[in-house]
Amino acid sequence: MPKSILIGKEIPFCPGCGHTVTVNGIAKALENMGVAPLDVILVSDIGCCGLIDNLVKCHTVHGLHGRAAALAMGVAMGLDDPNKVVIAIQGDGGATIGLQHLLEASRLNVNMNLIVHNNMVYGMTGGQISGLSPGEFKAIRLPEQQDIPSYDICELAYRTGASYSCRTFVGSDIPARLEEAFRTNGFSLVEVVETCPAYGVTKAKELHELMEHGEVTLKNTRPPAKTPKKDVASITGSLPVIESKYDSTLKTRLEVVIAGSAGEGVQLAGELLASAGIAAGLHTSRKGEYPVTVGTGFSVAEVILSREEILYTGIESPHVMIITSADGLAKEKERICSTNRLVMDCRLEVPAGKEAMVADFRSEAGKRGVTLCAVAYWLKQSNIMTLDALIDATRTSKHADALISTIQKAATLQAK
Amino acid sequence: MCSNKKRNVLIDGSRLMIEAMVQAGANVFVGYPITPANLLYAYASQRFPTFMPAPDEISSLQWATGFAAAGKIPVTATSFPGYALMVEPINMAYMMEMPIVIIMAQRLGPSTGSATTGAEGDLLLLRGSISGGYPIPVLCPSDFKDCWDLAFQSVSVAVKLRMPVVLLTSKEMVMTARSFDLSRLSSMTPVRWNLYEGDEEYRPYLSGADMVPPFLPAGNERHQVRINASTHDTLGLIRKATPEAIANTTRLKEKVEKRIQEYTFYHYDHEEGAEIVIVTYGVTADAARDAVKSIRAEGERISLLILKTLIPVPPVIFDILDRYRMIVFAEENLPGLLQEIMFGQSRSRRIRNVSKIAFMITPSEIVRGVEECRKAS
Repeated sequence: MPKSILIGKEIPFCPGCGHTVTVNGIAKALENMGVAPLDVILVSDIGCCGLIDNLVKCHTVHGLHGRAAALAMGVAMGLDDPNKVVIAIQGDGGATIGLQHLLEASRLNVNMNLIVHNNMVYGMTGGQISGLSPGEFKAIRLPEQQDIPSYDICELAYRTGASYSCRTFVGSDIPARLEEAFRTNGFSLVEVVETCPAYGVTKAKELHELMEHGEVTLKNTRPPAKTPKKDVASITGSLPVIESKYDSTLKTRLEVVIAGSAGEGVQLAGELLASAGIAAGLHTSRKGEYPVTVGTGFSVAEVILSREEILYTGIESPHVMIITSADGLAKEKERICSTNRLVMDCRLEVPAGKEAMVADFRSEAGKRGVTLCAVAYWLKQSNIMTLDALIDATRTSKHADALISTIQKAATLQAK
Repeated sequence: MCSNKKRNVLIDGSRLMIEAMVQAGANVFVGYPITPANLLYAYASQRFPTFMPAPDEISSLQWATGFAAAGKIPVTATSFPGYALMVEPINMAYMMEMPIVIIMAQRLGPSTGSATTGAEGDLLLLRGSISGGYPIPVLCPSDFKDCWDLAFQSVSVAVKLRMPVVLLTSKEMVMTARSFDLSRLSSMTPVRWNLYEGDEEYRPYLSGADMVPPFLPAGNERHQVRINASTHDTLGLIRKATPEAIANTTRLKEKVEKRIQEYTFYHYDHEEGAEIVIVTYGVTADAARDAVKSIRAEGERISLLILKTLIPVPPVIFDILDRYRMIVFAEENLPGLLQEIMFGQSRSRRIRNVSKIAFMITPSEIVRGVEECRKAS
């Protein structure tokens, strides 16, 4: 004898409420299927329909207004068990609030069920209209909206990929529709158009007359969502360990700003310099700045090389500035005033009163290599560390050959 | 890990946090890729066994709570605009007693503000997130070692106390790369749920002396589980203001406050004879460490207190501050949010603020703040 999920308590809804019909329909459908109560997880929304929790022997999760579909989706994806029946329950108000959640669960085709009790009103707050209230129903309550159509959520679910979507009415064979939904592997939506004796339609036959959208069953043949589960490896363990095998002449802390244009390897040059610093036995930090449109405009990398541990990573007055484009120059026009050492591409105008190491990095290394070329050129001139440290830093890049070639060109570049 | 051989790498705080959380036992990441939490999202997509890209932050937290109800340990990462959307579902998870770790990478506000500029401007929002003023544990790393240790602790506290926990950080911590010796990281044992093993009827919100009920996932075949975001009794059924239901709600506050010793983290660099203490947290901590070095190099006495548990403020912090004549708060916001949480809006002459937005506070600004403090006294 299959067990009912109902405890047998008196159902608390108003006499004549469609919720009672649907609750009995849910119990009947599960009974017919022979599902054990503890294989059912009922996720309820705010609203009269949420009172179902007290009536059942199955697991219950009572969440927030409009969010039952999203919460149930998490439960269904977390369990990832085809033997469990996850049922979310909400009213037409809740479905309006959480329309995005409904569409997302449909689109992913999550193995769960969403039952929408559509009694055309927000019943718990005094009978306000919802996005599912039909026009003729609104004519009395909110005439200015009577020509605005209601959402056809069954069509929306179908169009977004739900395996099963169905609209049924109080008076129809609700248990049969629900059983079909519960047996479906994938996302199922069942909209039950209901009476509401307090604020809505009181006679079942009038429901059909008022609704813009009639009984319908729509099916998509597609596989249900699978909870992604992948084998993963450590993301710290996979980082290249940098052996400190070179020396550095640096005694204190050196703050370097590299400024150029997006797409010209500024961030990469910063990263290679910081890695080279570690290989030379130094502490380093590297940060980047660029506009939200990452493919255009300026790009700035800040690198600190230090004999001592680096605490504060900000740079106010850079010791060295390497500028390779007009974008970079414009961005850094204020900090240039405070720097002692300036390295610039020969196309740029050296600010008045400043001296700069100038060379034709762009012709030598092209657009992609201009910044690394300038950094390597400065590094060579500075004698802080061997260029081999910078070359080593490129080893894990798939473009290592091109990067090494750029560094080698920089080593022999003549000043302008 | 924890070997003697150095393993130097160039790494950012995001990578350390995500790796530590997975090693701590977190197994689901649900999120929306907001700046400056992008790196956290990107690393999570590589490292978490289950990674779910969500269309928005309300969905993120609803999904995450559902995963937790099914027995998973979920993590998300966001910044202010996303957290603002999460406030309602965080309250839900708080009431349901579901563990979720929310990494909050702060950026300059108000509103959308400046997505790629750091800040420390969200502490009061976190303090006021839960209706009723109940505290949500907030841990805050002050360096890369903390990114590892506190990421673990945030998972641990979330599961032990069965509640959402915020790991508060900022753009500069999660996006700046530094040389770092991986051998400094301690190994960790994954956190486990305290599961209900009794045969009697399971009351999902009945706790013992530890104030945290044992857990069973929804969907288990042994006992009925009721999880509830509304005011409820120990069975998990909606109740209005019954004594049992109100006692249950009161317990939510008490478990956070009474078990504070289990997650009290701070660094106290005490100098004998110092009358002034610098109080700071997060990305400003490094500037304060530099400032303390230069103040001491000048022969002046100064102490430093870096808070790593920000909410609730551990009682020991007030005990320490009682020993000082003057307190200098350094934090990257204008009103002095930690100072306001600790001392309210009254402006005591004992307290000074070093405040700033849009740029990190510099060591010299903190030094200046301490000098002014000294002169004023």
